[in-house]
Amino acid sequence: MRYLVSLLSALSLGFAGTALAQGKPTDGALGFQEPVTEIARRGFAFHDSFLLWMCILITLFVALLLVFVMVRYNAKANPVPSKTTHNTFIEIVWTLVPVGILVLISIVSFPLLYYVDAEPDLAKIASGEVDATAEERAAAADGWITVKAQGNQWNWTYSYPDEVDADGFALEFTSNPLHYGLSTDPDIGERYLSVDYPLVVPAGRYVRYYTAASDVIHSFAMPSFGIKTDAVPGRLNEGWFKVDEPDVYYGQCSELCGKNHAFMPIEIRVVPQAQYDAWLAIMRSGDFDAAAQRVAVIETDQQFARLPAAE
Amino acid sequence: MAHDEVRHDYHLVNPSAWPLLGSLAVSTLAVGGVTYMKGLFGFEKGSWYLMAFGFAFVAYVMFGWWREVIKESRGGDHTPVVQIGLRYGMLMFIASEVMFFVAWFWSFFEMTIFHGARAGVTFDSANVLYEGLSAWSSWPPPGVETFNPFHLPLINTMILLLSGTTVTWAHHALQHGNRKDTRNGLILTILLGALFTTVQVIEYAEAGFSYSGTLYGSAFFMATGFHGAHVLIGTIFLAVCLFRLMAGGFTPQKHFGFEAAAWYWHFVDVVWLFLFAFVYVAPYLILEGG
Amino acid sequence: MPMDEVALDHAHDDHDHKPGFFVRWFMSTNHKDIGTLYLIFALIAGIVGYALSGLIRWELAHPDIGPLMGMMEYFYGLEGDAAREQAKQFYNTVITYHGLIMIFFMVMPALIGGFGNWFVPLMIGAPDMAFPRMNNISFWLTVAGFALLIMSMFVPSGNGGNGFGGGWVLYPPLSGLKGHSGPAMDLVILSLHTVGIASILGAINFIVTILNMRAPGMTMHKMPLFAWSILVTAALLLLALPVLAGALTMLLTDRNFGSQFFVPEGGGDPIMFQHLFWFFGHPEVYIMILPGFGIVSHIISTFSKKPIFGYLGMAYAMVAIGVIGFIVWAHHMYTVGMPVDMKAYFVAATMVIAVPTGIKIFSWIATMWGGSITFAVPMQWAIGFIFLFTLGGVTGVVLANAGVDHALHDTYYVVAHFHYVLSLGAVFALFAGWYYWFEKMFGVKYNGFLGGLHFWVTFIGSNMIFFPQHFLGLNGMPRRYVDYNPAYEYWHYWSSIGYAVSAVGTGIFFLCMADAFLRRRKAEANPWGEGATTLEWTLPSPPPFHQYNTLPRVKDTGDH
Ligand code: HEA
Ligand code: HEA
Ligand code: CUA
Ligand SMILES: [Cu+2]
Repeated sequence: MRYLVSLLSALSLGFAGTALAQGKPTDGALGFQEPVTEIARRGFAFHDSFLLWMCILITLFVALLLVFVMVRYNAKANPVPSKTTHNTFIEIVWTLVPVGILVLISIVSFPLLYYVDAEPDLAKIASGEVDATAEERAAAADGWITVKAQGNQWNWTYSYPDEVDADGFALEFTSNPLHYGLSTDPDIGERYLSVDYPLVVPAGRYVRYYTAASDVIHSFAMPSFGIKTDAVPGRLNEGWFKVDEPDVYYGQCSELCGKNHAFMPIEIRVVPQAQYDAWLAIMRSGDFDAAAQRVAVIETDQQFARLPAAE
Repeated sequence: MAHDEVRHDYHLVNPSAWPLLGSLAVSTLAVGGVTYMKGLFGFEKGSWYLMAFGFAFVAYVMFGWWREVIKESRGGDHTPVVQIGLRYGMLMFIASEVMFFVAWFWSFFEMTIFHGARAGVTFDSANVLYEGLSAWSSWPPPGVETFNPFHLPLINTMILLLSGTTVTWAHHALQHGNRKDTRNGLILTILLGALFTTVQVIEYAEAGFSYSGTLYGSAFFMATGFHGAHVLIGTIFLAVCLFRLMAGGFTPQKHFGFEAAAWYWHFVDVVWLFLFAFVYVAPYLILEGG
Repeated sequence: MPMDEVALDHAHDDHDHKPGFFVRWFMSTNHKDIGTLYLIFALIAGIVGYALSGLIRWELAHPDIGPLMGMMEYFYGLEGDAAREQAKQFYNTVITYHGLIMIFFMVMPALIGGFGNWFVPLMIGAPDMAFPRMNNISFWLTVAGFALLIMSMFVPSGNGGNGFGGGWVLYPPLSGLKGHSGPAMDLVILSLHTVGIASILGAINFIVTILNMRAPGMTMHKMPLFAWSILVTAALLLLALPVLAGALTMLLTDRNFGSQFFVPEGGGDPIMFQHLFWFFGHPEVYIMILPGFGIVSHIISTFSKKPIFGYLGMAYAMVAIGVIGFIVWAHHMYTVGMPVDMKAYFVAATMVIAVPTGIKIFSWIATMWGGSITFAVPMQWAIGFIFLFTLGGVTGVVLANAGVDHALHDTYYVVAHFHYVLSLGAVFALFAGWYYWFEKMFGVKYNGFLGGLHFWVTFIGSNMIFFPQHFLGLNGMPRRYVDYNPAYEYWHYWSSIGYAVSAVGTGIFFLCMADAFLRRRKAEANPWGEGATTLEWTLPSPPPFHQYNTLPRVKDTGDH
């Protein structure tokens, strides 16, 4: 039995932690990408340490029962069938136990849902009115970074409604995939994931995002953030995230939007505040290439670099 | 012994070509419809011949099929148990029609009830970010003049309610073997049905909005138009019953065709009451009330 | 169940009068012939759907757009970039038609049209369906719908390439003028209208047959579970399909007559289509699985030589699943931007369905408990079904949790979930029923070894296809992608290998059928012995052209 338990926990570790790289898929992985937001950490933990076990145990339980009856009650082992068709007690048990399991699931599920879906009240966090770490309080005191992602066939237009460019308009730029359409050159960036002008946000800040669409429905999805929000024409959807670790993170459009649906990736560069400010300054001047260059290497101890530039 | 004797009352229908023909007719209509709407197989958009042929074909199949049913009924195939089946069948059909209307009401209610949320009221920075929601900023949308429900729509409500009573009158008369009153009741009902359609056409002509252009117009015309189509179908159904009656059909005991038409008519009537209450009156009162 | 005590006195007569070939098969008013037609049709559509899934797996075996691009080069004479662009659209049409065909033209015609037609009247002791002629137009309209769908694959999409490539869920604006302005989408809409009318008429027919034509003595609470399952299925069809038809009609007029239901510029709302679609779509998934539940119940009981455990609970569990199935639809829409309280409601409502479903799973096991089980081919499929359906069901419960579904929605995790309940659930039940009733329907025996081999190879193959897809989904692989980052290759490759294995299984299936029909070993009236207690086993195999000229009488056993 001990052996079985350790085997199973090894398995569940496998589900949880095979992804070593941050913010992108890993070949042969069994589970989620490494979570980098609190939303993802809570959601993935809910899955890995609860739902997954529920799946395994229920399926295993049903399988074991099946094997048992097949062995114990096959025609050779049990030539004379019983005629039992009722057992009120057992019927009540197999109604109530699943109800119990579902109640347990709900107890974890609803708080998670409300955590993900309800935008945190920064004022309350900053003032310490709600439970928060010192770091969170500081981040909350700095207020929201607001970005808007508009899906188009087939690229994303990002804008920063609070940041104004030289002409007095909200800062806005379109982010095209490096492998857009025809180019599949494997040496450019992360294949099907890298873009020319990434979305840049500062590390450790609360980011509120809006999604919209100009033509058909798209979906703004970042697996390692645990978020996915459809971009629907005629609607404005919102969500939030906060990433502490500076790095490059990838996501992909997740609603079928036509022939290049597979080719409208999302690249988010989470950079230290100072680098973000520097990037913003260049962006305001309108030199997008120079700005992209400014975040090609992320200025942390680890110095994450855009792939081709590193070589 | 080639056959053991049939000792039940169910109706084992003879092989029939109508289903296959019907399927061909529907396919023709569909392909013809797409040809008309979009152009297909080298035919120009707007060429309507195939579609018209499809319509005629479908109508022909319906006519032939139901004539066969009537013949079988006369031939005694519709035993009591078969008649019960027909009744259940008609009820189920009406149930599915009700769900059809659910779809139209759904679109109407979504717009009516949720326009505030859609217009961005829930988002603080929405207006800065997105200006495409003006269509939802008020209800009905800006520029749409809705009908005063207490003019033509009220008249139509009266007409339909009256027709509901006349059809019941006809039914009672039929049950009591009074064929003259049945005929009169039926004729009155049909006339009232035609009157309803006429008033509806007049109302449509006066509409300050159209099917295209806004969701309001689309939802309004889809719901009332689909209902109008049902009034037409119901009127035709009743007219067929009138012809059958005049040709000597129906007995006080056995007149399911008539009953089906009457049920259908009542269904159309009830749907109208919902339309009147929710599409015409309630919004009007809300608007008037501020 | 009490059907074991049945008084019958019909003359066994195989040579009763049958009409000539054309009249018999094209103008049929015989429920068994129509059932056979449905099965043949489903088999053909299944092969088409199966071939399309082969294209999917072939394309996805490795990164890069390969096989489909080759096809475009070969069939359309396109080169290089043009072929690649065309291949992308083609991929989207392939998955769309794969989904539509499998659902509307394979599973539904086989389980409801095929088995429902064959066995509802036989099991409830009725001579035929309530409306035999209407029954036939249901079939022919299904054929017409299929013809329209296939036609639409080959007419212009309007935005490059042929066919409609917007997924089986048909979301506007992609399915509207903006996404697919050409005639292909209009044909898809009319195809679904047509098959929808067919299903509504069929549903009316089943409901009336079951309510009005049960043999004397067969109360609702003595009715075989398969008839119950078809009754609930028919009710779902009757109430859900018109809503889809309404949504499709709005879409059609949006596309052609300027209405604005789903057009944001005119105040319309694309999300409204999703609500209407899933109000139909979720009941639809139970429409596909409930008949399978019915079939599996009979097989488990037959081969355990025991009456079904908790008969009434089983029947009302299906009713409960049907009712709850109508109030959970928006669990497909957690990411569209719904208020959080609404999501919370749908989470709770969705999870509730696990309870009646669990009752069914455990009652099947309890039926086997204490039984004297033999493992004939249908039993193997049925046991496989119970296991695999459970696996697919619990991943459904994972998806029901909106907080987690934000990560999993529109990834391969969802694809894995629904293939476990469909391809390894509904289709396993379909094959279980096929092998259970094969002798009864066709009057010949099949080779049990080949049938068993078919099961095992398919079991291994389909698990290999779909189990790895859970891993892909968790790791973020989105659905409906023609091409992917190489980091997803490992599991995609295994998935495609699994397809090859399942193709071997399908080959064995055809071998098994060829063997059965060529060797023509004469079938018995009841090959399964004392466990098979429903009325169809009291008839010869195949049953006479018209059965029950004298209605069977079900004795009151005072059981349960
Ligand atoms: C036959 C078809 C079928 C069936 C039966 C089901 C059954 C279920 N489905 Fe599934 N589903 C689909 C077909 C089906 N589904 C399809 C086709 C899609 C995708 C559509 C698309 O987007 O293209 C989909 C998608 C889908 C989603 C949306 C995912 C997304 O797009 O993000 C969700 C979310 O809630 C869901 C949930 C469920 C649940 C909770 C059940 C439940 O009914 C399952 C209940 C069964 C069990 C739970 C197992 C047995 C029970 C026990 C052994 C008792 C003990 C168990 C517990 C206490 C948990 N399904
Ligand atoms: C019943 C439904 C059904 C069935 C059986 C299958 C079977 C299979 N499907 Fe799928 N599939 C869908 C319904 C189904 N599918 C749907 C709805 C979608 C979503 C579409 C969309 O995104 O819009 C989808 C999407 C889908 C995808 C995702 C595509 C993408 O998102 O890019 C993939 C990828 O691998 C896939 C693969 C397969 C494979 C390999 C099989 C194989 O398992 C096939 C194996 C099948 C058999 C072994 C049985 C074959 C049956 C017969 C031959 C008939 C027998 C008949 C009688 C005996 C009468 N399917
Ligand atoms: Cu944009 Cu998919
Ligand atoms: Cu669902």
